[in-house]
Amino acid sequence: MKTFLYFLLFMFIAAVVILLAAMLGDLGAWYFAWLIGTAMIVLIAAAGAALLDTQEEQAAGRSGQAPPRPS
Amino acid sequence: MELFATLQVIWWLLLGVLLIGLAVMVGMDMGVGTILRYVGRSDIERRVALNVIGPHWDGNQVWFILGGGAVFAAFPLIYATAFSGFYVVMLLLLWSMIVRPLGFEYRSKIADPAWRNVWDWSLFVSGAVPMVVFGAAFGNLFLGVPFHFEWNLTSFYTGSFLALLNPFAILCGLLSLALSVCMGAVTVMNGAEGALHQRARRLATWAPWVAVVLFAVGGVWVHALPGYQITQGPGAGIPQTPLQQTVALAPGAWQALFAAHPLLWLVPILGFAGMLGLSLAARAGRSHLAWWLGALAWIGVIGTAGVSLFPFLLPSSSDPSVSLTVWNSSSSQLTLLWMLGFAVVFVPLILWYTSWAFWVMRGKVKAEQIAHDEHAY
Amino acid sequence: MIDATVVELSRWQFASTVIYHYLFVPLTLGLSFLLAAMETVYVTTGKPIYRQMAQFWGKLFMINFALGVATGLTMEFQFGTNWSFYSSFVGDIFGAPLAIEGLMAFFMESTFVGLMVFGWERLSKGQHLAVTWLVALGSNLSALWILIANSFMQDPLGAHFNPVTLRMELTSFQQLIFSPDAQSKFVHTSIAGYVTGAIFVAGISAWYMLRNRHMELAKRSFRMAALYGVLATVGVITLGDALGFVAAQAQPTKLAAMEGLWKSEPAPMAFNLIAFPDQSLQKNEGAVQVPYLLSLLVTHSLDGSVPGIDALERQAAQKVENGIPAVLALKTLSTNPHDIAALAQFKAHEQDLGYGFLVQRYAPDLEHVTPQQVQQAARDSIPPVAAVFWSFRLMVGFGLLMLAYFVLAVIYTLRNRVQHQRWFLRAAVWMIPIPFLANETGWLVAELGRQPWTVFGVLPTWMSASTHSVGYMVFSLSGFVLLYSIFIAVEMALMVRSIRQGPDEPGSGDSRSAPRPAIAPHPAYAAARDPHPEG
Repeated sequence: MKTFLYFLLFMFIAAVVILLAAMLGDLGAWYFAWLIGTAMIVLIAAAGAALLDTQEEQAAGRSGQAPPRPS
Repeated sequence: MELFATLQVIWWLLLGVLLIGLAVMVGMDMGVGTILRYVGRSDIERRVALNVIGPHWDGNQVWFILGGGAVFAAFPLIYATAFSGFYVVMLLLLWSMIVRPLGFEYRSKIADPAWRNVWDWSLFVSGAVPMVVFGAAFGNLFLGVPFHFEWNLTSFYTGSFLALLNPFAILCGLLSLALSVCMGAVTVMNGAEGALHQRARRLATWAPWVAVVLFAVGGVWVHALPGYQITQGPGAGIPQTPLQQTVALAPGAWQALFAAHPLLWLVPILGFAGMLGLSLAARAGRSHLAWWLGALAWIGVIGTAGVSLFPFLLPSSSDPSVSLTVWNSSSSQLTLLWMLGFAVVFVPLILWYTSWAFWVMRGKVKAEQIAHDEHAY
Repeated sequence: MIDATVVELSRWQFASTVIYHYLFVPLTLGLSFLLAAMETVYVTTGKPIYRQMAQFWGKLFMINFALGVATGLTMEFQFGTNWSFYSSFVGDIFGAPLAIEGLMAFFMESTFVGLMVFGWERLSKGQHLAVTWLVALGSNLSALWILIANSFMQDPLGAHFNPVTLRMELTSFQQLIFSPDAQSKFVHTSIAGYVTGAIFVAGISAWYMLRNRHMELAKRSFRMAALYGVLATVGVITLGDALGFVAAQAQPTKLAAMEGLWKSEPAPMAFNLIAFPDQSLQKNEGAVQVPYLLSLLVTHSLDGSVPGIDALERQAAQKVENGIPAVLALKTLSTNPHDIAALAQFKAHEQDLGYGFLVQRYAPDLEHVTPQQVQQAARDSIPPVAAVFWSFRLMVGFGLLMLAYFVLAVIYTLRNRVQHQRWFLRAAVWMIPIPFLANETGWLVAELGRQPWTVFGVLPTWMSASTHSVGYMVFSLSGFVLLYSIFIAVEMALMVRSIRQGPDEPGSGDSRSAPRPAIAPHPAYAAARDPHPEG
């Protein structure tokens, strides 16, 4: 039952999002671009940080030291 | 036309809701600022008092901004005429209010006692002055304000700044200050313990009596004032300018609505009951109950003013016929309708997440926590 | 008639307070999403360094935020206190977005900012992340509604003048919020804020790297800021172009002033790279031109052209002539809203009502308007060319400089070499003021270019102000200058102090004396803050 309610809730949210996106895409193309663009910019910045962590670990591995522990 | 008139009345009521929200939520924070130096005798006590409202003052302050925005959107002529007419008073209000965010945010960033003292005093000023101005502005509505219009609705204010600080207005200002002090004291009771709590409790016990006296004196005073009455005009729900009506001064006009609908006397009674109840509840240490009774007191006080003045919003003392009313200063039907749509969706949402924020931050603020937390005020 | 000095002082007051306010807003817009990005990494990877980053930059965010809120407060009321005719004339439309801004955005931002600062120990990781995202979304939605209101001043869509109520009234809410100017200006401004936030974070991180302090925090912050910044800068430039395109349609006088285009010329038009416009002689001195470029920029084609100031002035003169009967009819309608003849006369001329107001400055009763007065009004319809021209060039120059900077920054940081490029780190610190300058010059282009109107083509600036005395205006303007000078001094002092202190790390904030193995878990994170005091 709980799963079903969650399913309904998320389906509802998805429907609202699709509706809003369709409206925005039609009437306000730049607003829509802002939504998508901001999400993208933030996620790419976040991914860049994750990549840095990996780079540091690799560099540490190469030079034979114990990996730095930013974690 | 029916729809338009209904929307005008709804927006008059909504404006009341926003003003009450402003008085309750901003009033309590300003009350804390006003009593800060009285209830908090040491630096750490003051910091506790500030941190009680620390997570919330910013959100609460938006009631003030939203109040301004709503007047602009729903009654633009009021926004334009009143705020330019009250120029110097508005500046005092704004200048004292803009010190407040800095007081909260910057005060405890530097440990120097002189630095903190300066900000404590500025928090006192930015708590007390706006509340007095807020009440005094209301007081002036009962007296009328000297302004008139050119043919194209350019407004001219012909009074002096000092005339706005007349005895009746100051009485109203003190009433609003007293209520905010009550609410501030109760808020400190809610979130603090020990000596701080006790001092706040003492204040919350006797300060409501000051408010009771001021509210009663104000009521009697208004009875003696001549009120304003529309004698001829296009009426409700008709698009119009203030140039198309005639208004006369009439004794007892501010009580006309009470006389017509005696049930409305419940509104001022609610105000008195709230104040007295606040005092009793604070004395009994029931600070949450006292807070809600304080909110009721505000509803009673602002409601009384609204019922008295309706349908007037800003009477003109120098040219009564251009007095601004709900009917001649509202926005168009379409704007009111759209704004109502937004208000219906967002006001409940605001109340919901504000309550959640209070629930998350519930409980007492402890001195030791503040010492450990670099984010604390 | 309003005293011209009062209008002038009101303009100075509005301009200085809004320019001041606008020092803090873009940083809030940009830093908030950057905080959200940092915290997102913290929640997904669980590495405490990212929490420390979010908290440290959050502290600087709050110092800036306080002044943004404080100075925004006065802006919300200044339309009423100082531009009262403007407020009653367009309040039916202009007030709505301001009120919605409070309802939808500012409330959200301000309520959740309290939880963002105080809620670290009381909220779950996911909840706190959501709160941070809501703060970022709220602050940018604020910008959205404010810019919708501003766009109405640039291009009054979705409204008409109602001769019964003597004011502009809303006809279409959708047109208002989806106006091309609002759309492109919001995106342009919002992501210009991202650029500001990115340069701020990158610059301070570079400062730490130069001193070998907080290296783990600085490298990660720099990496995130560089990526965030380069994408945002590309976006700002794209949207700047879109905005120019919109202005070419809606505000030809602004565009002509931006480009110093005194004479109309056939396509393809040349672009004035450098020139010294002279308003009285109506020509440029010492112009350096790039052929074809202007047509490409503003019409996106080689055979497109836009009118020069000479043609625009001729059009304005005609509109002034046509607007005079509209104002006269309105005067009749003011006393008798049911006058059929006056209503018909008004309807015939209403599209040029604003130009009638423009000449009313010189002929208040409009009974005997001379050709000279019409010419004068037509000349007034051109904004101050040199100021707009140079603000625009400075803004674009800063934008291109920031693009070059970020491209280099991304190259260095992706190779994880930026900490060794000391010259670049020094430059990064010096870059911090640049986005602020770009933001302010952008404001100047938009709002000086709108002159002589408060609402383009509809309401002249000269009649928009409140009817205060000169004394009042001197009093208020000096009060603002005094208060705001104190504020900025305090803010800068605290900001610099907090930056020098750096993030709170175990031991000390200074790693120069004793190099330590990166970051250990922070004892204060497990600090004794009782999350559920009531049990």
